[in-house]
Amino acid sequence: MTERDRNWLTLFATGLILLIVYPFFADGYQLTVIRDALIFGLFAASLDFFWGRTGILCFGHAAFFGLGGYVMALITLNGSVPLAGLVGLLGAIAAAALLAAVIGYFLFFGGIRGSYFTIVTLATGVICQQAAISWSSVTGGDSGLIGIPPLEIDFAGIRIDLGQDLASYVFISIIVAIVVLLLWQLSRGRWGKVLTAIQDNEVRAAALGHNASLRLLLTFVVSAAIAGLAGALYVCMAGLIAPDLSGLLLSTEVTVWVAVGGRGTLLGPVVGALVIQRAQQEISSFNPSLWPLILGLLFIVIVFALPDGVLSIFSRLKAIFRKTEPAR
Amino acid sequence: MEFAAVTTLNALTLISILLLVGLGLAISFGLMNVTNLAHGEFVTIGAFTVYFVQSLGGSFWFGLLAAPVVGGLVGMVLEYAVIRHLYSRPMSTILATWGISLVLQQSLELAFGLGAKPVSPPVEGTVDLIVAVYPAYRLILIGIAAATLTAVILLVNRTSFGLDIRTVIQNREMAEGVGINTRRSYAIAFAFGAAIAGLAGGLVAPLAIVLPQMGVNYLANAFFVVIVGGAGSIAGLLAGSVFVGGLTSILNYQISPSLAQALVLLAAIIVVRLRPNGLLGGAFR
Repeated sequence: MTERDRNWLTLFATGLILLIVYPFFADGYQLTVIRDALIFGLFAASLDFFWGRTGILCFGHAAFFGLGGYVMALITLNGSVPLAGLVGLLGAIAAAALLAAVIGYFLFFGGIRGSYFTIVTLATGVICQQAAISWSSVTGGDSGLIGIPPLEIDFAGIRIDLGQDLASYVFISIIVAIVVLLLWQLSRGRWGKVLTAIQDNEVRAAALGHNASLRLLLTFVVSAAIAGLAGALYVCMAGLIAPDLSGLLLSTEVTVWVAVGGRGTLLGPVVGALVIQRAQQEISSFNPSLWPLILGLLFIVIVFALPDGVLSIFSRLKAIFRKTEPAR
Repeated sequence: MEFAAVTTLNALTLISILLLVGLGLAISFGLMNVTNLAHGEFVTIGAFTVYFVQSLGGSFWFGLLAAPVVGGLVGMVLEYAVIRHLYSRPMSTILATWGISLVLQQSLELAFGLGAKPVSPPVEGTVDLIVAVYPAYRLILIGIAAATLTAVILLVNRTSFGLDIRTVIQNREMAEGVGINTRRSYAIAFAFGAAIAGLAGGLVAPLAIVLPQMGVNYLANAFFVVIVGGAGSIAGLLAGSVFVGGLTSILNYQISPSLAQALVLLAAIIVVRLRPNGLLGGAFR
């Protein structure tokens, strides 16, 4: 275990303790705020797993989030599906993974990388939002779908009813923690090493026998599947879904969360999502149209001042102290 | 017969717009390797320029002249302030230009307020083309686009500035070696592409819904044009515009616009899979 891994685990454990302690100080409403923010944190982690590990930016990630949400909503609102909660979750994951597999197959095996990939996924996001608005007989159009019941899983003797604030908070915290831990395991193991090799030099990685296109495709599918899961979870917590949840603004926001939190760290994006959403609520409360302007400025600041995210401030400070220490 | 003629003319209108918007992208994305996600905002700025001139009582034609000037100026500032510093960092360019795109959109909204802006065409009425009756303004639009394209081809192929640009594109180091100021060439080429996109915005303003957020649709479609056509040649640009514009116009008759968009995207993705260098990739370089 390297020092970097130890740092990560320490941070992870700190986060877990904070999540456990928080319910003792917070009321029900505050718990639901953190719960919803955590779901977006999971969404950010899913983008980071792809973007951070491959260096290729998917700019339409909200398409998968929204697709998962709509699948979940349609299945649970149908009423005739048995075990609707569980089937909805699995269906959401499968639908997002399938869409990613189709797009990813054509692009990765067509040799598309870098900027081209970003643009095609950007267009996918635009189209998904338009489809969600105009296909109103299924998606409810502009106003979306409402009245989605809270998650209720009753399977093999285990009964989970997430109508209550605390129960849903605990449930989401556990899921987010498990998924982030799994993603971290994947990306520090062989899988992540191969991805790093592909990012560094794809031709050489391929010469060593790695099927680069397939590996990128699988990573993209995993990333999309988790985004779909996050979308499904959000929908049954919020009780509604609207076209915004598959749109460009959410794709933009998730990119900012990852970029601010620190690309490739998995935890950073979760923290980024929590902090920036808090800021967004404060700013939007006095002028809603100001927020996109600030988002735009954030992008420019990140690019010129903090290319490695906010957390890199600490490692930079550390580096400065290390440089000065031997001189003493 | 009439139906076919109108469909063809509608397709030509869309192709003209895509061609002009795509031209700037072909320069920045195809040739300079800069992914400018703020390119759609040049179209928006062009459209707003025409609106602004008209709202002050000026004529459409004056607005249309001002549109490429304003677009080009904004492009110049953008290149000088941001893009110039990021030529070697493609990912940063994507993020920064997206940020600028948001800032421009929101500034336009703050300056001009919410809601669509009305722009009236300079000529009303229709022209009887024997086989079909067609709006006069759209015919003018097609004519201006064709003239602009011809001018650009002449500029690139027949002037010394065009020679410089072609040299820089083929080999930047070598161009510097023979004494061309490549920085300046890049800046001019970028501003030029922005100006053409501004012109496209001005042209499309009477036909489109003029909103601060209108740019992103043109951005996505123009990127398809460049990707499908194969970056780097005017012939490829033409092929890409015909493919995207033609397919969209034909599909729009049969199905809803957003489904048509989705199918065009799908077709574009499949073309990219089959011909990674574009329809004309490599053939006309």
